[in-house]
Amino acid sequence: MEFGKIERSVHIDASPTTVFEVITSPDHLKEWWPDKAELEAVSGSVGKLYFGSDTPEITVADVEPPRLFSFRWTYPDGEEAREDNSLHVTFELEEANGGTLLRMTETGFRQKGWEVAQLEEHYRRNVSGWDHFLPRLVAYAPTVKGSA
Amino acid sequence: MTAVDEQLWSAIGDPTRRQMLDLLVESGSGTASTLGEALPVSRQAVAKHLVVLENVDLVASTVVGRERIYQPNPAQLERAAAQLAEVGAAWDRRLSRIAALAEELEERRLRGEG
Repeated sequence: MEFGKIERSVHIDASPTTVFEVITSPDHLKEWWPDKAELEAVSGSVGKLYFGSDTPEITVADVEPPRLFSFRWTYPDGEEAREDNSLHVTFELEEANGGTLLRMTETGFRQKGWEVAQLEEHYRRNVSGWDHFLPRLVAYAPTVKGSA
Repeated sequence: MTAVDEQLWSAIGDPTRRQMLDLLVESGSGTASTLGEALPVSRQAVAKHLVVLENVDLVASTVVGRERIYQPNPAQLERAAAQLAEVGAAWDRRLSRIAALAEELEERRLRGEG
């Protein structure tokens, strides 16, 4: 098992082509993720995401419409995206039950550490104790909810 | 802060260290010897891993007699778990938004064509 891998899947009542468009086109991207996106779904192209004043780069990796789309992000300014300095998000689309099974994985946390965890203020929850911690740490890491 | 987090995650990233944490959590405390007995690694390797875990506050130690006793640190473990959970929850929100958008779009198209 790989620790520090986020894995999710969701069934969508729409064709893979439509879903692919929603996850790759800047117009749709801004509806589900950043405020604005500059992105070309072409392998190797470098785009930009806008989250308020934060504007991280994004580098497109795999593009195989409508089956596969992946990119790297959260790497340091001025550096090229590499395996050891970025997070790799992969979307795999598969036709299922007249719709699409969308599987998302985000990897690279282990190599990179946990920069995404800059959301630290969100974590100040008053929860303590092992009963709470262990099941979650174990459950979240390898396989989660719906991903076989 | 990110430097601390990176260390925290690389400390947790090692499978032997995760096993050690599990054992410490289960039994409440342990020493390099007791952990070494329970794991297929040398006592020396265990001692090194314990140093890594202690450096990032995942465990704390006290010296009792000739032994150093290690205890897990719930607050730091909770912090690590919460960070992972938050990233997962963010993706849950994004994915359900993606689903809603794609379904809307598809429906509009079907209506347009029909």
